[in-house]
Amino acid sequence: MVVKIRLARFGRTNHPFYNIVVAHSRTARNSRPLEVIGTYDPIPKKDPYDDSGRLHKDIKLDITRAKYWIGVGAQPTDTMWRLLSMVGILPPKYRPATPSQNTQNTPQASNKA
Amino acid sequence: MPPRIRGSGSQPLLLLSSLESAPSSSLPPSAALAAPLHRSTASPSPQCNRSFSTTPARQVTRLRRLFKDWCANNAPLFRYPQPGQTNYVSRILKQSDFHEVYPNQPFPNNPAFRSEPVLSETARETIWRAVMVEGLPLKAVSAEYKVDVRRVAAVVRMKEIEKKWEREGKPMAIPYAKAIMGMLPRANLTERERREGRPFEPINDIHVHSYTMQQLFVPTSESREFTRADAAKAFGDHILPPDEKMRIPELVEMERKISQGLPPPQARAEFVEETKKSEQELAAKMRARLQAAEDRRVRVDSGRFEFRFEKINAEEVGPTGRARRAVGWRYGVPLMDRKRGEIKIPTSVE
Repeated sequence: MVVKIRLARFGRTNHPFYNIVVAHSRTARNSRPLEVIGTYDPIPKKDPYDDSGRLHKDIKLDITRAKYWIGVGAQPTDTMWRLLSMVGILPPKYRPATPSQNTQNTPQASNKA
Repeated sequence: MPPRIRGSGSQPLLLLSSLESAPSSSLPPSAALAAPLHRSTASPSPQCNRSFSTTPARQVTRLRRLFKDWCANNAPLFRYPQPGQTNYVSRILKQSDFHEVYPNQPFPNNPAFRSEPVLSETARETIWRAVMVEGLPLKAVSAEYKVDVRRVAAVVRMKEIEKKWEREGKPMAIPYAKAIMGMLPRANLTERERREGRPFEPINDIHVHSYTMQQLFVPTSESREFTRADAAKAFGDHILPPDEKMRIPELVEMERKISQGLPPPQARAEFVEETKKSEQELAAKMRARLQAAEDRRVRVDSGRFEFRFEKINAEEVGPTGRARRAVGWRYGVPLMDRKRGEIKIPTSVE
């Protein structure tokens, strides 16, 4: 059976929250996965005491485990492909994310080097 | 069910017994004038001047008459608050039903409720100036003005917001603040007040942990020195000795130096230096923690949103895979967050 890297929806009505899981593709969405390698909070948030109106999304990810699972042939879903391409684990599938100008920790820069 | 009295459903018996028959002269003239008018138009009965209600008019009780008299005599005293004074009833009431009434008692029959002074506008400005302009450490300001260090920090935060709003030209509720402050006892923290009066509040109190409230018998050898640190350890592994629990331990150090013969101005200067050093250490620790968190993070700007990837270790899930600190929502355990009585205090300001 195919091993997928996908999202499992938790949270509440109108308040989604996802576990990033590694699971067999034919198993139910919220069933116990092979491994939970992170979380994805899709609700954009503001920084406290920040008036600029900039929004951010929080993601927790075990990058080492993600790379391992990609290495042994796990197939990410489209959404997970998008997220994994942001940290440089996979090449972008559709539209590449523009790297930020003011931060040092840009994965694209470290990838090219 | 209590027995009902005809025509006065809500009045208790007790009140009825204290009813006074109102003298005919006490009737307001308007009522007397209105009576014949009603009779001629609508009312069939000559006794009742209110044709639309069968409820008898409320008679004046003794208590109500006394209340009205008291108001007529004393209302002008309380209509406009005296500047620099509270507007409590205890200003003129020196004796309640049970005991003596103190001026800081808003409710004469509740001796446990004392209204404590609040920091006045000038006092808050003084504290803000000492911290932000003169650059004194918070602990030193706290010790100088005898204001709790947490309150000092809060005053500085609020003052900063106020000054920011002033710069931005935001409207502020000054009349409201003035009215409220005018009705409360205030502490100005002036030189004279600090020299003569009580301290504003105790600043170096130690929180008493419930574990230390029990009586404990610990066998120890006679030759061994049993310190406060040992006592804390005897009460529990996580119990701190009082020297580590107090907010400003440098204050104790200063007093110790003075008692050993160091001149007080010099001891005070050393105290300020020590507090400055301890606060700088704390700030460095906080900066290091924030930097460590930032180092774990990768920021990717997608145009609309900034995606913040935090690097975690997915293998910290414990032997059952259900460790509390494990990442993500847990499998196979009920969530208690919607249960009644669960505290849902937000942990961040947005």
